[in-house]
Amino acid sequence: MKLNTDMQVVKISDYLWEIPPSEKPDMLVPARIYASAAILGAMDRGVFDQVTNVACLPGIHRYALCMPDGHWGYGFPIGGVAAFNPEDGIISPGGVGYDINCGMRLIRTDLSLSEVQPKLELLMTELFRRVPAGVGSRGFVNLSRRDFRDVMRQGAGWCIAKGYGWEEDLERIEERGCLDGADPTHVTDYAIERGINQLGTLGSGNHYLEIQVLSDNGIYDRATAAAMGLTGRDQVVVMVHCGSRGFGHQVASDYLKVFEKAMHRYGIFVKDQQLACAPFRSPEGQDYFGAMNCAANTAFANRQVITHQIREAFEAVFGESARRLGMQLIYDVAHNIAKVERYRDGEWLVHRKGATRAFGPGSPELPACYRGIGQPVICGGSMETGSYLLVGTDRAMQETFGSTMHGSGRTMSRAQAKRTVRGEQLLRDMKQHGILVKAVSMSGLAEEAGLAYKNISDVVETVDHAGITKKVAELKPIGNIKG
Amino acid sequence: MPGSFRFLDDIALADMAFDAEGESLPALFDAATRALIESLADPVTIAEPWQHTVDMEEQDIETLLFEWLGRLVYLKDAQGVVFHRATVSLNQNDARRAWHLHAELTGAPVDPATQDLRSDVKGVTKHLYAVTQGENGWKARVVLDV
Repeated sequence: MKLNTDMQVVKISDYLWEIPPSEKPDMLVPARIYASAAILGAMDRGVFDQVTNVACLPGIHRYALCMPDGHWGYGFPIGGVAAFNPEDGIISPGGVGYDINCGMRLIRTDLSLSEVQPKLELLMTELFRRVPAGVGSRGFVNLSRRDFRDVMRQGAGWCIAKGYGWEEDLERIEERGCLDGADPTHVTDYAIERGINQLGTLGSGNHYLEIQVLSDNGIYDRATAAAMGLTGRDQVVVMVHCGSRGFGHQVASDYLKVFEKAMHRYGIFVKDQQLACAPFRSPEGQDYFGAMNCAANTAFANRQVITHQIREAFEAVFGESARRLGMQLIYDVAHNIAKVERYRDGEWLVHRKGATRAFGPGSPELPACYRGIGQPVICGGSMETGSYLLVGTDRAMQETFGSTMHGSGRTMSRAQAKRTVRGEQLLRDMKQHGILVKAVSMSGLAEEAGLAYKNISDVVETVDHAGITKKVAELKPIGNIKG
Repeated sequence: MPGSFRFLDDIALADMAFDAEGESLPALFDAATRALIESLADPVTIAEPWQHTVDMEEQDIETLLFEWLGRLVYLKDAQGVVFHRATVSLNQNDARRAWHLHAELTGAPVDPATQDLRSDVKGVTKHLYAVTQGENGWKARVVLDV
């Protein structure tokens, strides 16, 4: 098989491949890639280079991992997962990503396609008005600096206290929407000034708000779907993909600079400047962890405020309360994060960068409603093809630090996508295929065309066959809002 | 002579990258600045009611360009604006050898109804970042996270 690397890649199973530590100087552990043969063959050179760079970082435990949606990223590959000993290992912004706690959220409804379709245009207009998107967009929540520091410390809980959501939303958010250890004193003024006006905004790039439909034949595991409140019959759901906006990016940029200098003091040498890191227990490592948790909590709050706006839009259009419309949160999960998590072999600082937590059944971290089935995993595809709902497994707990894929991954650059398709034409084509799009930027829309992405179904099949997550349902888009 | 820039296809699939070049350092800074401004919005569609002055100093030219481009991204979010024009001048302090940048920016508050908005650039990265001097002048490679 022809691969985009000269390194030896050993087949472990049909869906798991290993690069031994002998393939690169300073590798401390093997690198492992979850992929079918076809996906592995299509992976870019950056994946192989970067996952083996990660395997060289001090304190790494067992493996450096990459999920099947992996592609080149900054420092870690997108799809990268690595666990470090919290006592003598490192923490790296390159293992979290610039958009700290970028994540996915899925909200159910009792509405069917036949009820929504006649009002879809109105609903999309209402959502587009209430959820700001695109360059420089500002949210409706006016925060003082003191309020913003509370958001950093309390995350989604701050929103619930202010009336932007329901108390029961919290148990259906990873870590109840609030990471311990958030310390606003380690956040720069630049970051605060970038983020203070952005609560409740989508952003742009690959971020979106999507109205989706679950048909009967889109359900793969009826009992598990039912436990999440999904019964099919053309049921309408709402998916949100966004993160900590400019605030998180500024935190990451600020600490990359700090770590570039600190590494020399700690005698750490990395193979890529974007892997700049510091010992987790060092003052610099703890400062970043405190600031990163602030950004993560702000992202949870951002998605919570957006959820509030979505519920209000549905109420305005359908003339019923969101509760009567059955708009419960199914789950909210991060895919850019570093957290200390407990596993059978100890406590590890797990970095996930473009990878989703996927805790299996019985995990004490899960709410009672999901402890029997495992954690819901929300994976977004391109706006033309659809998305998947999966569930975490015990195998993920054993093999991948409870982690799995997060999306489909790009195969075409933004510039090439814009040359291949025009936003206005894409808008018309998608409407013909039953998908209504509201976009701030036509060029931004063209960049996100379905042709620029891998087929998410191939990626989902890989994690399903590998056993690190199981398919529950496939969701098809009927309306998409983009920045 | 003004500098020039071109967006790159083959690196940073999920983000944006450009090469900027100029016969002189001011021309290089001008080209890189225009590349970033045009990534955010079509400057032709941006009016100039907003004006802002920036003064920065760094020990080396590579850091100065990186921090300057990062400052534009910060201003976009913190002030809620997109840019029409940036006039940049550079000076080197004789005593301390530090580079000083003075810039006069114009632009307008974001308004999707009247402006051709493009990508919400979140930051400037160090991936493949380089400022180099060759026979024909200066070059920079910049990858933007969107």
